[in-house]
Amino acid sequence: MRTPLLTVEDLEVRFGTSRGLVYAVNGISFDIAPGETLGIVGESGCGKSVTSLALLGILARNGRVTGGTAMFGGRDLLKLKDEQLRLIRGREIAMVFQDPMTSLNPVLTIGKQLREPLQVHFGMDKSQADRRAVELLEQVGIPSAKQRLRDYPHQFSGGMRQRVMIAIALACEPKLLIADEPTTALDVTIQAQILELLKTLVSERDTALMLITHDLGVVAGMCERVNVMYAGMFMETGSAAALFSQPRHPYTLGLLQSVPRLDAGRRQKLMPIPGSPRNMLSPPGECPFAPRCRYEVEQSRQQVPPLEEIEPGHQVRCFNPVPADEWQRERLGGAA
Amino acid sequence: MSIAELESREIQLERPQGLWSEAWQRLRRNRGAIIGFGLVGTFVLVAIFAPLLAPYGPREQNLSLVREGCCPGPSADYWFGVDALGRDEFSRILYGARYSLLIGVVSVAVGLTFGLILGAVAGFFGGIIDGVIMRLMDIMLAIPGFLLAIGIVAMLGPGIWQIMIAVGVVNIPIFARLLRGAVLAQRENDFVLAARAVGVPRRTILGSHILPNSISPLIVQGTLALATAIIDVAGLGYLGLGPQDPATPEWGTMLTDTIRYLQTAPHLAIIPGIAIVLAVLGFNLIGDGLREALDPKLRGRA
Repeated sequence: MRTPLLTVEDLEVRFGTSRGLVYAVNGISFDIAPGETLGIVGESGCGKSVTSLALLGILARNGRVTGGTAMFGGRDLLKLKDEQLRLIRGREIAMVFQDPMTSLNPVLTIGKQLREPLQVHFGMDKSQADRRAVELLEQVGIPSAKQRLRDYPHQFSGGMRQRVMIAIALACEPKLLIADEPTTALDVTIQAQILELLKTLVSERDTALMLITHDLGVVAGMCERVNVMYAGMFMETGSAAALFSQPRHPYTLGLLQSVPRLDAGRRQKLMPIPGSPRNMLSPPGECPFAPRCRYEVEQSRQQVPPLEEIEPGHQVRCFNPVPADEWQRERLGGAA
Repeated sequence: MSIAELESREIQLERPQGLWSEAWQRLRRNRGAIIGFGLVGTFVLVAIFAPLLAPYGPREQNLSLVREGCCPGPSADYWFGVDALGRDEFSRILYGARYSLLIGVVSVAVGLTFGLILGAVAGFFGGIIDGVIMRLMDIMLAIPGFLLAIGIVAMLGPGIWQIMIAVGVVNIPIFARLLRGAVLAQRENDFVLAARAVGVPRRTILGSHILPNSISPLIVQGTLALATAIIDVAGLGYLGLGPQDPATPEWGTMLTDTIRYLQTAPHLAIIPGIAIVLAVLGFNLIGDGLREALDPKLRGRA
């Protein structure tokens, strides 16, 4: 394996709110190598987006990183001053946001917004930046790019805007691209196009891609390794292949069971995960998934299970992991 | 609607146009705003071309006219009559437009400039800076505006520039508060986060992302403030705090001068009063039209 580009260890993020301290991210660790695509999956509010915002130092005002390190090119991102981090943002690490409808400034032209990172990081003048902007728009597949530079965001469709967002993110050829639910706000047909585009651009430049999503289908098609996140912790990490064929954590299994499948039997019902996500107002003292878990054991109510390796490259945070063949058996049983 | 009309509308929709030209389109369809533009346009033209339009000078006296008693009403030679000192009222009204317009624009510019800076800083940086600035603004707002203006003129002494400063200062907290609110709302937008994520410096974000999005309520308020400023200036003039040269044809001062002749020559009070009302009405109509044209909720509607 190549040396990692970014190594995050024990990242902790807290938010001070009027109802108390919110324990948003509780010690997560991962690394990502150049050219690799890493998936982070979890439901809304599990801390996926907060993780990426924390790495870039653009958390909301009430958010604080309370622990951990994030080594990137020999520097700890979490210890850098805002001004130093600003020079990394957009230049070495860039981000594509969830909603292209609101992530572009409605009163500025597309050209102005594309020029911005180029002018900030490379000190290009307007005509240089314009030429580069046209190239970028062509790369993301926007026709008659030169004319469209003068257009405003409301003259673009959702899919086009997300292409523009990707063009902005890739403007300075960053080493790491964080895509936070890049296709959630888009139509299914557009989703596939955008994912394909991301895949191509990333592999052409050997860019590392951190893909944050709640869509298991997206992860399966895009990622080599996947982290399953719940209540600010990784519950299971492993290769996409291992996770989708042999999920060992009850939460991963629950996620897979709750997604409709084409190969399922006609009578087979979707199985939802009972209960609702953990209230994050207290530090985790037990397995955060225990209250919703079918496999819960005595011990999971007493302490947080450690993340343990159960086979090479496959780690699970569970005292009573799901049997390795459970998912396969259920699928076949259901189909029969 | 015929097919040709539909097609022409579609072409219009497809033509790339900025938000401002869209707002202009909506403004043009607003009858009130058009009347407002008419009134204000006349007002401005009169102010600029007063020397060409006025039949007499604003200070030109003809005492023989008032020897018979005050004051002769409108006649063919003196359209709006003559005031107590034998000056042509019509010419004085025309020249008065200059003072009202100048004082209104300068005082609103003062208020807008300081209000803009204070509001943007308070809204964007928040925390202690925000607290200090906004409490200061609250204190200023706690004093009735006109009273504050009188206080400031009393401190600085009467005169045109003093009036402009006083009315301008009264406007500062109104603009500051309005802009702070808009900046606070815009600050949390996704595109601000997206701009930060590509490393745009904070000052640039405030200047080129947040302010252009927060400016439209300020434009509306600015127009409406012009109307209020004209009233305030007239009021201060009426109270004798205006220009100290009694010959200055300022509308408010002209009203004061006629109190004694209200019984015999009411036109001397009514005419400057109408001038003030029309100027204020014009700015108010434009302000309301702008509010509707710039309202994002109405965007895209015909």
